[in-house]
Amino acid sequence: MIDRRKIKTLSGATNASLALFLGAGLTVIASAQQGNEDIRSDEAQAALPMPPVERPPIEFKTAEAHYSYLLEQSGGGTQHTMATIPVWSGLWSAGNNSMPGLFLVDGTLAIAMAPGGEVREGVLTPPYEQQFKERRAEMAEYGEQRYDRLTNCEYPGVARWLWEPYIKEFVNTPKQTWLLNDLMNETRRVYIGAEHINIDGRHSATGDSIGFWSDDKLVMWTKWINPADYLRGMPLTSNQLELVETWEEAVRSDGVRMIVTQATFYDPVALVRPLTAVYTHESRPDLEEIGVRIRNWECVTSSNSYKDAEGNTQFYLPGDPGYVDARGTTEFPELPGQSLDPIFDAQ
Amino acid sequence: MMRKMILTTLIAMSLVTIATMGPASAHHSFAMFDLSQHQLVEGRITDWHYNSPHSWLYIDAVDENGQMQRWSFEGAAPVHATRQGVTGNTFRKSEVVRVVMSPIRDGRRAGAMCFVVKEDNSIVRPNDATCNAVGVIETWQSNGWLKSTEHLGEHPAEP
Repeated sequence: MIDRRKIKTLSGATNASLALFLGAGLTVIASAQQGNEDIRSDEAQAALPMPPVERPPIEFKTAEAHYSYLLEQSGGGTQHTMATIPVWSGLWSAGNNSMPGLFLVDGTLAIAMAPGGEVREGVLTPPYEQQFKERRAEMAEYGEQRYDRLTNCEYPGVARWLWEPYIKEFVNTPKQTWLLNDLMNETRRVYIGAEHINIDGRHSATGDSIGFWSDDKLVMWTKWINPADYLRGMPLTSNQLELVETWEEAVRSDGVRMIVTQATFYDPVALVRPLTAVYTHESRPDLEEIGVRIRNWECVTSSNSYKDAEGNTQFYLPGDPGYVDARGTTEFPELPGQSLDPIFDAQ
Repeated sequence: MMRKMILTTLIAMSLVTIATMGPASAHHSFAMFDLSQHQLVEGRITDWHYNSPHSWLYIDAVDENGQMQRWSFEGAAPVHATRQGVTGNTFRKSEVVRVVMSPIRDGRRAGAMCFVVKEDNSIVRPNDATCNAVGVIETWQSNGWLKSTEHLGEHPAEP
């Protein structure tokens, strides 16, 4: 049961715009929420309702300046307790987002991973624009980007995390927020009211996130992220990428819960100027009802895809030297009880 | 008697649908599969890996020379297959199934699953976004391809 008291409603023009966008997508959502649906195509995902992009009130040069401004505007942030903090319970899946439109003319998720689309010039710095054009040209030639860096179990990274279509859970506590992604068990930890710390002296897939609450809106600043990309078919990000995000729950007129994320990307190496996109997540009570639970899994022990000598994605199959049997045994097969697949074996 | 059949069918009506569908959910490219055609392979299940990042179904089927061969079919991630009614308990060991799939381009015995006809003739959809399974099932059923003994051929499933 949703605690409506915890849900902040969007106000003014934002709410009206949101209602307009959401109204157009209700049929799609209703179909998707019934369960047992066919897998979503990019077209279906691109048709999901999406609120308008909310750009920063000022064009900040850095994520730090943006974050500091928002912190100051909120009077130092709202100090929540476990009794007052927003509860984003349940399972969530990625909805739509406006990111492809930052880099492609009229870009949507429907064409992000498909051939076609005109590259917006002057958005990316020259070397990154050139690489993006080469990526799009490869897609035009082969029908798809031939190799995705996730193939060899590389982590999506923060920009891509916002879209990854596996299942997510969001847990808020007064001192930390945990944003959990089924894909690669990739968890973003947001340290509330804290400063950035990096005793590791390195970047990572999810970087370091700090944040504060402005009423029921979570404001985050993330830095020290490994170079990655926005999505397969989309541009690369550099190791200087930093994000300022706001996360807030909204409820559509049909009662479907959404998390709306406004993400501003600061990447002076790859972007000519900062860019903002809106991302959504949808509550998935239908998945909870059929028993979906996030299970821990290790990509290196369950994925047989790899990049071949020609740059194509390929699979190791049973009998190939590189094949890994996700349901095989431990390194002690001679002992009883060492199968990784005892339920299927027992049939 | 279990039979094995490999049916290569250019499904013109499906091409438009496939061409407009994007791989929304995979962690890798689907360029290694020939999505312009579907083949049907009948065999006996050896393994069902309902694992992330993608599920895989493995079956043993007899080839034209009477030799048993292992086939491997990639499907959706569990979380996506679940939305289509497929779980880790959908397939039984040694169950005879017919798999309709897009073959891998390099000619090995593998493909991207579109749909699977189980031993009791029920149809399940463990497919990823490589295939609009609902539409393809309708096409196969309306053309009688799943029932045709001609297409099933004369190859024994087990030597």
